[in-house]
Amino acid sequence: MNLFLQAQPSFWNAPSYSGELWIKLLLGLAVGVGLIFALMAAPVQVRRPIVAAVTFISGLFYVLFYFWPNPVQRQDGQLPRDFVENVGFQLEDAVQVVVPITNILTALLLGLGIYSLFRIHFRKVSKMQRDWGFSLVLLGSMFAMIIFGYWDWITTHGPNEVLMESRSNWGFANYGRDLLFNGILQQMDAAMFSLIAFFILSAAYRAFRVRSVEATIMLLTALIMMLSLMGAVTYFVDTKMLGDPRPDSMLFNFTLTEVAKWIKDTFQTSSLRGIDFGVGIGALAMGLRLWLSLERQGAGA
Amino acid sequence: MAQVEKQPTLGDRLQSLPKWMLYLILIVVMSIPLVFMKGCKVPGKPEESTVDLFYKLMTLPEGSTVLLSSDWTNSTAGESAGQFDSLMRILMRKNIKVCIFTSADPQAPQVARDELMVLNEERKKEGDKPYEQWNDYLILGYFPNAEGTLNAIRSNVRKAFDGKKKLPPGETVPRDVFLSPVLQNIKRVEDFQMVLVITASKTSNITIERLSDKLSADGKLGMMVTGVMGPETQVYYASGQLVGLSKGLKGVFELEQMMAKGLNNPDFATAEIRSEKYKDTPIQGFPGKQNEGKGTKYYPTLHFALGLLILAVIIGNIGMAMSRRQGVEK
Repeated sequence: MNLFLQAQPSFWNAPSYSGELWIKLLLGLAVGVGLIFALMAAPVQVRRPIVAAVTFISGLFYVLFYFWPNPVQRQDGQLPRDFVENVGFQLEDAVQVVVPITNILTALLLGLGIYSLFRIHFRKVSKMQRDWGFSLVLLGSMFAMIIFGYWDWITTHGPNEVLMESRSNWGFANYGRDLLFNGILQQMDAAMFSLIAFFILSAAYRAFRVRSVEATIMLLTALIMMLSLMGAVTYFVDTKMLGDPRPDSMLFNFTLTEVAKWIKDTFQTSSLRGIDFGVGIGALAMGLRLWLSLERQGAGA
Repeated sequence: MAQVEKQPTLGDRLQSLPKWMLYLILIVVMSIPLVFMKGCKVPGKPEESTVDLFYKLMTLPEGSTVLLSSDWTNSTAGESAGQFDSLMRILMRKNIKVCIFTSADPQAPQVARDELMVLNEERKKEGDKPYEQWNDYLILGYFPNAEGTLNAIRSNVRKAFDGKKKLPPGETVPRDVFLSPVLQNIKRVEDFQMVLVITASKTSNITIERLSDKLSADGKLGMMVTGVMGPETQVYYASGQLVGLSKGLKGVFELEQMMAKGLNNPDFATAEIRSEKYKDTPIQGFPGKQNEGKGTKYYPTLHFALGLLILAVIIGNIGMAMSRRQGVEK
């Protein structure tokens, strides 16, 4: 029996939208929350080896998954020929089980974050601590979004799903969600991101100075790159000034587009690859430390 | 003894413009193209990476299916929404089916859904059939944990999207998405004609790490990233892992230009937009349709912003040079 075949009915699954599935989901949630609280209540000496063991086993799966030879062009129902292939097949099948587990854990962490946010700000509001007004706004916004979000979800899923694609069929819940999500949240999101333009201008004005040879080279390179992003400038330089030279002519190499391409392909790409290698090695070292629980904070003291 | 306060020179002043003044100048300068230059068209020459992406999209077989990782929200809508619009316009006009998912942000599916609604209205106005969920596209929603989700897609698409149900038009009970015309022929990730990523986050790197070995050799992986992410993603285009790449607002503008004017159209010698690489295969584009969108609309604003940035740096450096000269003279 393939333990990883989810289509096979077992204790661990249930038909979609069935009552059995909901009961199992709630039971799973209760067990998960119970385990978290039990772990939190356990003394450090007990908790640390448990966290270390779980971390190691979880990491081991992905280490094996990446380093063990992967099945290539595997056909449905194909049987492994030897031990190496057998493990490869098992690992590939197991991904489909491990991924939902990690997805559920990520979703649980999201829930944990919401709970933590609620606890902190509710306490602040109930005890009228400093800036409690902001906490009230946060809680109000959070619950408004949750209520309208789910209300809208209920009306747009199910038999009316296709109908709701047209705005003319929308009701209060849908307009409420649209106002909160698109009218407020998304616009504030965009506004926050737009603020970067002000900081970039201010920082470039103050920091970009020709103080040394290196700074001058960097400034000139940045200037070429910025000019190459301006279509009107590239059009003027390449077409009007240089006469739109053919790709096989010498002059073509001096068009703004080609110079910018040369900078990108020669300097930028190689530098970024170097940085990526450095970051990769650092991440590998950090990953190893976390996997082997050598990071004391990670071991969850 | 009272100290004599040194009067700031012109050089000093040019070096230390107050923040509020810079911010005010930025607001005024950015408002000019947005308010007074509506409909202004800026010329431009598409980059090779955008040309490659456009060519690949335009040569996808009609009726085929692409997988789209739509990992953006309104924070980068200035660039990403334009990318999504131009991509979807091409796919819709070529009758290509799209399966959309996200592993970056829980807000992303709703943003994609809303944008599709706007594009469908546009299609109705142009007299085309609106794109239908189930028959033409699917939005599978948010999958937390990008690494795991893309690993699952890599191993087995059917199991990765297992249990997802959508409502077919005219029916009342949702059905398994793999029964839909969009996904019925998909068994492995290689079965998609193309996998595209519109992103403002690290999902570009994660996709390369997880799917590149399955897709890149066949030229099936393309990306549309924000301008800031352009340089880091260019690395994967340069290595051949990406078949095409559109970067930021400029990339959107270039795509829109090619959609309107075509590529090497009608032939290489007389074409407005030329590419030596594809000189034997002219692409017509979509004349007479709504091709110009956010890219064309906001490209002049990008010019003003970059122009102001260059000017600010020049002023700062002139100020520094003047102060230095005055120091030497004293």
